[in-house]
Amino acid sequence: MATEYVKLVDVTKCDGCRACMVACKNWNDLPAEPQDFLGTMQSHANVSADTWNVLTFVEHENSKGGLDYLFRHSSCYHCVDAACEKVCPESAISYTDFGSVVIDHDKCVGCGYCEQNCPFDVISLKEYKDKNGKEYRKANKCTMCTDRLEEGLQPACVTTCHPGAMQFGEKEEMLQKAEKRVSEIKERYPNATIYNPAGVGGTHTIYVLAEKPSVYGMPENPKVPTSAVLWKDYAQPIGKAMVGGVTMALVGAFVANKFFDKKGKEHEEDGGDRHE
Amino acid sequence: MKKSVVSKEYQNLQKEIAKLQEQWKKSLNPDVVKPNLDQAAMSAGVPVAALAAIDFDISLFLQWIDELSKLIVDQHQELEEKLGEVRSLLNEETAIRWIDEAFSLNSIYFARFAEENGIDEWIPQFLAENALRPYLQLTADKVQDVAKAVHGAGCPVCGEPARLAQLEGEGKKVIHCPRCHAHWPEKRIQCSHCGNDDHKTIQFITVEGEASSQVLCCEKCKGYTKVIDTRQFISRPSSAILDLTSIHLDFVAQENGYQAAPGNLETNN
Repeated sequence: MATEYVKLVDVTKCDGCRACMVACKNWNDLPAEPQDFLGTMQSHANVSADTWNVLTFVEHENSKGGLDYLFRHSSCYHCVDAACEKVCPESAISYTDFGSVVIDHDKCVGCGYCEQNCPFDVISLKEYKDKNGKEYRKANKCTMCTDRLEEGLQPACVTTCHPGAMQFGEKEEMLQKAEKRVSEIKERYPNATIYNPAGVGGTHTIYVLAEKPSVYGMPENPKVPTSAVLWKDYAQPIGKAMVGGVTMALVGAFVANKFFDKKGKEHEEDGGDRHE
Repeated sequence: MKKSVVSKEYQNLQKEIAKLQEQWKKSLNPDVVKPNLDQAAMSAGVPVAALAAIDFDISLFLQWIDELSKLIVDQHQELEEKLGEVRSLLNEETAIRWIDEAFSLNSIYFARFAEENGIDEWIPQFLAENALRPYLQLTADKVQDVAKAVHGAGCPVCGEPARLAQLEGEGKKVIHCPRCHAHWPEKRIQCSHCGNDDHKTIQFITVEGEASSQVLCCEKCKGYTKVIDTRQFISRPSSAILDLTSIHLDFVAQENGYQAAPGNLETNN
């Protein structure tokens, strides 16, 4: 297995410039999505099929009564135990050697299970039309720029981040940096924390947050839905085993009939037991 | 995106050689290199290594050639006989000559040596150059802060023509010598060879799908420099490996009529 990498997002260094959004659009050749004014600096309400990362802006009254303007680069978390991967009936979603979670568009049938089950709401379906005008859907999300990783390059959003709010590197090194950073900012942000939720086995996008996750609109304790676990870890293997069992039984019955039921056959050949 | 045109096998061999060179350099006493920082000569573009007094240890040089040969044979058994043959030709006198000729990049001498002894042309200079580099790299380490580059003179330490630049920090362009690992800054829009900084006569060639590299081409001297944004890399390779893995850019530039060393300089490329 290749080295496991992590994108570390230190939101306390982010200045909200949104260059990461532009870099993502540019590298992945994603079309612009004109938006109405949302009453905030935030350009898009959430990530979408054509906008794989969004800079969120949150006004927050801190524990000292002051106002904090909190920015966060929001995109796929690339869970270690990804619900989207579990629920995909076509095995179109998989883990790469780098730890990123990617969608194979050739296999995706646009069922939308991944979209419904993602605890972070970062997968979206996009409508396409084929040459005959027939509509079909495919799931889309951030790929962690896996095509760049394969070439030894960092994700596009990381390379463009001028305040150094995003770093990319080996998992252990990034976790150590995150811990060090949290200890540095604890005085200013008493609620500072590392966001690497255990409910999804940890993630490959890890955050240093100034406040509790819920302040940023992130789930405090995200989990892989029980239905997804039941489906992938129990129902599917049992189903496959049963299909295997039935197949084996049918093959066994066929073989037994064909090769071992000679008695009846001999009688037929002799014509002895028939009286018509 | 395209992967490097150089095979993984050859890249790995070069990485192993680079590791060996680093070990060899560390094993040297820094005092074997005594730089002579003659400002007038340096301003005229004379490489520091040419002015320095370097106390070469010939037996060590021969030992390094043995180690290098072993490394190559480990990966390419078929070369064992050829490399053994070359080694049998080497004595103290020849080794001293090899050091001198490798130092001055005398490809003609090595080609003649190979021809006279009926061996493959690449072998003598390859061995001599790689066994010499630790001394050059040690020299570069010692004079890095004082060596000043002169346009047209190549590397201020070893004289290798400039052909590789990296973008670092906030976007600073730094020329890196793949031979001795010396490095020096340069303006973003400037030819490393003639010093031309007229933006109207500087062109950039980019390869479609390559996000991190471009070739700076000068219309005045027809020289080129590969400029690679290594800030985008997950882990930054040594300049020698970077020079090797970006060799396709040399082909692209040369096919477009530009030269790594405008004039008649020889390179180790």
